[in-house]
Amino acid sequence: MTSMAGSRDDDRARRFRDAALPHLDDVYTLARYLLRNVADADDAVQECYLRAFRHFDGFRGQAIKPWLMAILRNVCHAEFARRSGPLLVGAEAAAAEDASPLWQEEAHTAEAEMLRQQDAEMIHGLLDALPEPFREAIVLRDINDLSYQDIAEVMGAPIGTVMSRLARARTMLRNAWLKRKMMEQHV
Amino acid sequence: MTCEETHILLHALLDNEPDAAPAPELEAHVASCACCSARLRDYRGMGEALTEPGLRYQAPEDLRGRIERALLTTASQCPRANAPGRRGLLRGIAVGSAVSTALAGVAAAGAPYWRTLFNGFAFGSALSAVAAALLMIAVIRPDQDQVIVSDVVSAHLRSLQANHLTDVQASDQHGVKPWFSERLGAVPPVPDLTSQGFNLIGGRIDYVLGKPVAALVYQRDNHVINVFVAQDEDAERSPKLATLQGVNVALWSEKGLNLCAVGDVSAKDLQDIRKKFEAAA
Repeated sequence: MTSMAGSRDDDRARRFRDAALPHLDDVYTLARYLLRNVADADDAVQECYLRAFRHFDGFRGQAIKPWLMAILRNVCHAEFARRSGPLLVGAEAAAAEDASPLWQEEAHTAEAEMLRQQDAEMIHGLLDALPEPFREAIVLRDINDLSYQDIAEVMGAPIGTVMSRLARARTMLRNAWLKRKMMEQHV
Repeated sequence: MTCEETHILLHALLDNEPDAAPAPELEAHVASCACCSARLRDYRGMGEALTEPGLRYQAPEDLRGRIERALLTTASQCPRANAPGRRGLLRGIAVGSAVSTALAGVAAAGAPYWRTLFNGFAFGSALSAVAAALLMIAVIRPDQDQVIVSDVVSAHLRSLQANHLTDVQASDQHGVKPWFSERLGAVPPVPDLTSQGFNLIGGRIDYVLGKPVAALVYQRDNHVINVFVAQDEDAERSPKLATLQGVNVALWSEKGLNLCAVGDVSAKDLQDIRKKFEAAA
């Protein structure tokens, strides 16, 4: 049966697929970092794409990648809320962000060389250990390569918040990294 | 520019975001400040390390395949409305009457709930013209309400997974109202529905359109109703009924609240429940 309506729906599915599937790896990467579990990430990405397809009519031609990632983020947050209470956002995150000024937390400046030694598994571990919403900020910027504007859209937060979370996330990561490197050297 | 300001703004230099911070002033400060230039150097090093390809994942091939197949299935099984003007829920969503049984089966097997939902879409038997006539969909605005209905149905089906109907158990309003007050800063109406045979079993926080809402859970025999209550100053929806994936949904507004009652019960039952809520508000 090839009614007009039929081909219109196939056309819609095709348009969605062509627009959205190219970003699958990026969306999957974000899911892996947010959920820290392969099976959960798989499920979340599936749910994300189905939800995005349902809402595709409401999508008005702006950049699709941050739109998809915002949906993925909502899917992940809802699942966390279902399991064990909301991710650390809102008032608690604000308190964490205000906790102490950035410059007091810096370890002594180490050789930049230490930080450049690449070890994907170790870095992944350090990223996983970052609390939310800091892990999310640094993954969106440094792994997914989104602009500040796009990150703001994905997080549903103003750019100022994005910048302060990113600054703090990088400080935390840097400190954890240096600690790790120094421990390794003393083994 | 002070060191304190630079500590946050220098990231705009790192990230090449000229609109986020005044580059000339930043660069001037960094050039004349040893600690900030050391910091910038460190973060550059860290940024380079983060470009490591091993930190980026590729979606597994079978995930990609599953999504592609689901899109094609959903499209080809979308029920056709004979009247070209008929829009709303019938468009673009595969709705299955067999779905809720299938869902129950898969859920019992212990599959994660997302797989459950996904399998429901893949099964998607076509909505017959007779079933369509029974839908009683009043005008559903294509964008927002369609999204709300699908969100609350997803939330309802999720909640039916074992152990997650309620976070607070109570059989009357006094058991749940303080719990919601503490968590949401607001108290939903919690009417007594025992005259329809529904007993309150408790409540939880759930998420609709990404926002936390109160979910009240009532039960009659083995049928569960979730009533989702969200605060909205502009709430002014006239009552509507919808159905999706084998469950019925009633949507309505009361002063400052949007409510959705969702369950595997008749539309008439949901309308009676709505009236009880309206009387209790």
